[in-house]
Amino acid sequence: MSFEPKILGIACNWCTYTGADLAGTTRLHYPPNVRVVRVMCSSRINPSFIFRAFQLGADGVLVGGCHPGDCHYNTGNLYARRRLAVTKKILEFAGLEPGRFRVEWISASEGNKFAEVVQEFTAQIKELGPQQKLKIDELQEKA
Amino acid sequence: MTDFRQIENNLKKEAKRLLEAGEVAVVLAYGRGYDEKHPMPFAAKTIADVESLVFNEYCNFNMASYLMRYPWGTKIAIAAKAADSRAIIQLVQEEKVRREDLVILGIPAYGMKNQKTNEVVDSKTTGGLYNPVIYDILLGEEIHGQKIVSPYEVLAEYEAMDKEERWAFWKSQMDKCIRCYACRKACPMCYCDPCFIDQNKPRWADKAPQSPGNMMYHLTRFHHLAGRCIDCGECSRACPVDIPLYLFHKKVAKECEEMFGQAAGMKLEDKPVLVDFRVEDSDKILE
Amino acid sequence: MSRIGVFVCHCGLNIAKTIRVSELAEFASTLPDVVVARDYRFMCSTPGQEMIANDIKEHRLDRVIVTACSPLMHEHTFRKVIEKAGLNQYMLTIVNIREQVSWVTSDIEEGTAKAKALLNGAVYRARLLAPLSSRVIDVNSGVMIVGGGIAGIQAALELANTGKKVYLVEKNSTIGGHMAQFDKTFPTLDCSACILTPKMDAVLQHPNITLMTYCEISEVKGFVGNFDIKVRQKARYVNHDKCNACLACTEKCPGKGISEWDEGLVKRKAIHIPFPQAVPQKPVIDRDACTYFLKGKCRLCEKVCEQKAIDFEQQDTFIDVKVGAVIVATGYNLMDTSPLVQYGYGKYPGVYSALEAERLFNSAGPTSGKVTLRDGKEPQAIAILHCIGSRDKNNYEHCSRVCCMYSLKFAHLFKEKTSADVYQFYIDIRAAGKGYEEFYNRIIEEDVKFIRGKVARVAESSDEPGRLIVEAEDTITGKFVQLPVDMVVLSPAMIPREDSKEVGRLFNLSTDKHGFFMERHPKLAPLSTMSEGIFIAGTCQSPKDIPDTVAQANGAAAEALTIVSREKMELEATTAMVNPASCCGCQNCVRVCPYGAPLFNYEKGVSEINEALCKGCGLCASVCPTSAIIARHFTNEQVLAEIEGLMEF
Repeated sequence: MSFEPKILGIACNWCTYTGADLAGTTRLHYPPNVRVVRVMCSSRINPSFIFRAFQLGADGVLVGGCHPGDCHYNTGNLYARRRLAVTKKILEFAGLEPGRFRVEWISASEGNKFAEVVQEFTAQIKELGPQQKLKIDELQEKA
Repeated sequence: MTDFRQIENNLKKEAKRLLEAGEVAVVLAYGRGYDEKHPMPFAAKTIADVESLVFNEYCNFNMASYLMRYPWGTKIAIAAKAADSRAIIQLVQEEKVRREDLVILGIPAYGMKNQKTNEVVDSKTTGGLYNPVIYDILLGEEIHGQKIVSPYEVLAEYEAMDKEERWAFWKSQMDKCIRCYACRKACPMCYCDPCFIDQNKPRWADKAPQSPGNMMYHLTRFHHLAGRCIDCGECSRACPVDIPLYLFHKKVAKECEEMFGQAAGMKLEDKPVLVDFRVEDSDKILE
Repeated sequence: MSRIGVFVCHCGLNIAKTIRVSELAEFASTLPDVVVARDYRFMCSTPGQEMIANDIKEHRLDRVIVTACSPLMHEHTFRKVIEKAGLNQYMLTIVNIREQVSWVTSDIEEGTAKAKALLNGAVYRARLLAPLSSRVIDVNSGVMIVGGGIAGIQAALELANTGKKVYLVEKNSTIGGHMAQFDKTFPTLDCSACILTPKMDAVLQHPNITLMTYCEISEVKGFVGNFDIKVRQKARYVNHDKCNACLACTEKCPGKGISEWDEGLVKRKAIHIPFPQAVPQKPVIDRDACTYFLKGKCRLCEKVCEQKAIDFEQQDTFIDVKVGAVIVATGYNLMDTSPLVQYGYGKYPGVYSALEAERLFNSAGPTSGKVTLRDGKEPQAIAILHCIGSRDKNNYEHCSRVCCMYSLKFAHLFKEKTSADVYQFYIDIRAAGKGYEEFYNRIIEEDVKFIRGKVARVAESSDEPGRLIVEAEDTITGKFVQLPVDMVVLSPAMIPREDSKEVGRLFNLSTDKHGFFMERHPKLAPLSTMSEGIFIAGTCQSPKDIPDTVAQANGAAAEALTIVSREKMELEATTAMVNPASCCGCQNCVRVCPYGAPLFNYEKGVSEINEALCKGCGLCASVCPTSAIIARHFTNEQVLAEIEGLMEF
């Protein structure tokens, strides 16, 4: 069987989650690998959520927020941009493949962009193969 | 450079003067250990204490970590080398200490040595500086003309590794961790009480010294110190199993400086970069 | 141990077609703490809701998971259901298996597997949910309306007539908007001013309306029910309390400015009212055209003003307004077509934009209603070019909706006022509105020539200087047309106001890629926005005609009324709180909060959150290094558990 990656999506309620809904309303098909967690704002995303997701077996993590300047909470995503950029640099320096973590600004009206990003990201993660570096294996988990 | 002996004399002189005059309640500096190679952090509170003050090439401790033990309003004199002075600035930015409570005794120095290995640590942990960024009284002459080594030069070797090698390197380093938390104890910026890793709600990671929990602890700590680490290197020197944490911190500091145009602890009026933003920050930083 | 009920909706075949719903329910019953799991055809229907309510009682459920459509669709519905059945409404979790699974997946295996993973995540999260109590706040009964065009005017009158206090804010010195510039309105051809000016006057006279012209919004604070808005009153240099509207000043003024109302076709005075029926009838001084402001000498207006109303020292002032709801009705601009060099706007004097043409028909316009070219001659042949910049992938993809109809109206008026030949160059005629098709047929009868083809170029005739050649492919005959005319009217794209993004930022509205405001739901909530208590009406949302704009304005007024007619209202309980025992006093939360909700208690050395100000974004929780901040309903534990559940399958 071909490798079907598990991808964690974290989407802000106001833009990306709504955009993902729009992709559905307009029946844009995309791969089923991304599972979305809804948060109110991309700024809610604690860097440890991302580290933890990789430990729990995520092959990729996709974060979606409102376009800078359009944040429902004015400036939340501007903080998120900095904090997530640092998260990405940390993962990269630790040796994780840079392509496994991605941040995209997807507005409520960009259902097509959501579908495209998921398509592209899923293909990219398939290319990278299973994420085994940070993933906790069964034996360790019990410890 | 003013020699260490002279700096020690000046330190004693100023400490005595400040305590005598009642200008400060305590002088945070270095005291005698069991031998010359092992000086210790020392808080001189009386004139008699002053005699125990020392300064030599092994006085690496970042005394800024002790500042937060005193309530606001306590007048404190603190011995500060280059990196230590940046820690003070950072703590002032974060409102953990007040500038007006401090008398900063600046120490210009190079040739500082690691107690354990005897190696000169300048290139690794001075942040490219020999003179304190901020001080009230300078205990020696400012250093000019000494070759400046970029604080990030030591990173080149690790940046050149491919990701598999780098992962193997960090994995092997993190696996060594015994979770003694000496790194956070030594760090002047790790003042959280409780530390996230000690929380039970949520339980961010395993508390046992095993690979996954170690990784979670260190990666998160790197993030917490992003844009705040002032490159004193105390975490690495404190580490009983010699994990070169300073390398990772330097890397994050370098990225932050490149992305946000600001190094930690350089200006009192700065705001820590991760609790700040600019509208014109580029999306390129996410690539 | 919690007791969870899982309710899987088929949504007819919307979900059941690509997810095996009964298998999903069976799977749910194997998950921890799930005591009952069912599937049903329409969970949102009355029997579906009753099923949930009965199970809550029968199985003593303390948590409910509804596996159905998006939470943005029915979270509210199901919260009410479980609340009625005795549970706290925050003990509900929605799993979005329609918009984010069944509608985006074609394979039933894939769909079912993804739904299982999402459901597992939801169960993990649900186990950690905690009941929350909503906050009740007092509601301010006033409404602010931003924009004094027909939408704003209509909404203001409707609301004021219900007895509510209305603040109508307009950035120009008069209300009326674009409609005041029109001569006739399609398809009835009734006179625009005749139907608009009585409404403008009614606004001025209405005891419940505070008219704030020459004002802009400078700051918006607060939230639904309690907005706190700072309005900048721009300096008019005329004290309107003293001015008696004699307008002697405007006669004597030597300064010349560009008449916005006449689309720059003529000049107006520096001290001016924009047009004769302007409301209020009191002048302002255009600094950029005033001789005194430019050269330091003049002050003629001051000399003639008996009321001593002229005040050259006047400064901008700020007015604080408190309201419970806001309607944004800021209207549209026409696209500047001069960058589309192929049409020659701005280069050839014979090329006009649609609004300029409007002014030529108007008896109060620059030509007193005579259709003449810039050189004073009557045009002999006129081409009206549709879809300039709109329905155009290189500019604006959207259809501007009104251009077909006003172009037909132009044709009629040109025929009425001149003896010119009139040509329509169109892609296709869109006449979908009451009486519109009939109007189109009428114009066809009026000997207007229709050429189906988008114009490629407008060029100057080489034989007759001043004459224009319109070049297009007639897509019906397939022939290349080169038509000599002496007047070209462009129907440019309707686009958002130049400052719509700024207004959006102030009111927390999202905009589409061009800057039109986004509605909460394109069908079911077209006037609401993602910001509670802020509504939109008219062309700031998308191009539309006057009837639609007025209908929206009435709708927005009713929506605003649903808020301000209440004395108290409930707010989301999903705010953040600080666990003081874990706070390390780093003050990160204080530094980042966009609303100033966290404050540092220096005495205790810990942060405290003013929940009245908190909007629940969770930013503070993520910057809190010690995890001392609890973002209610999105706590660290809850999010981590959900991630764990999602990654398990």
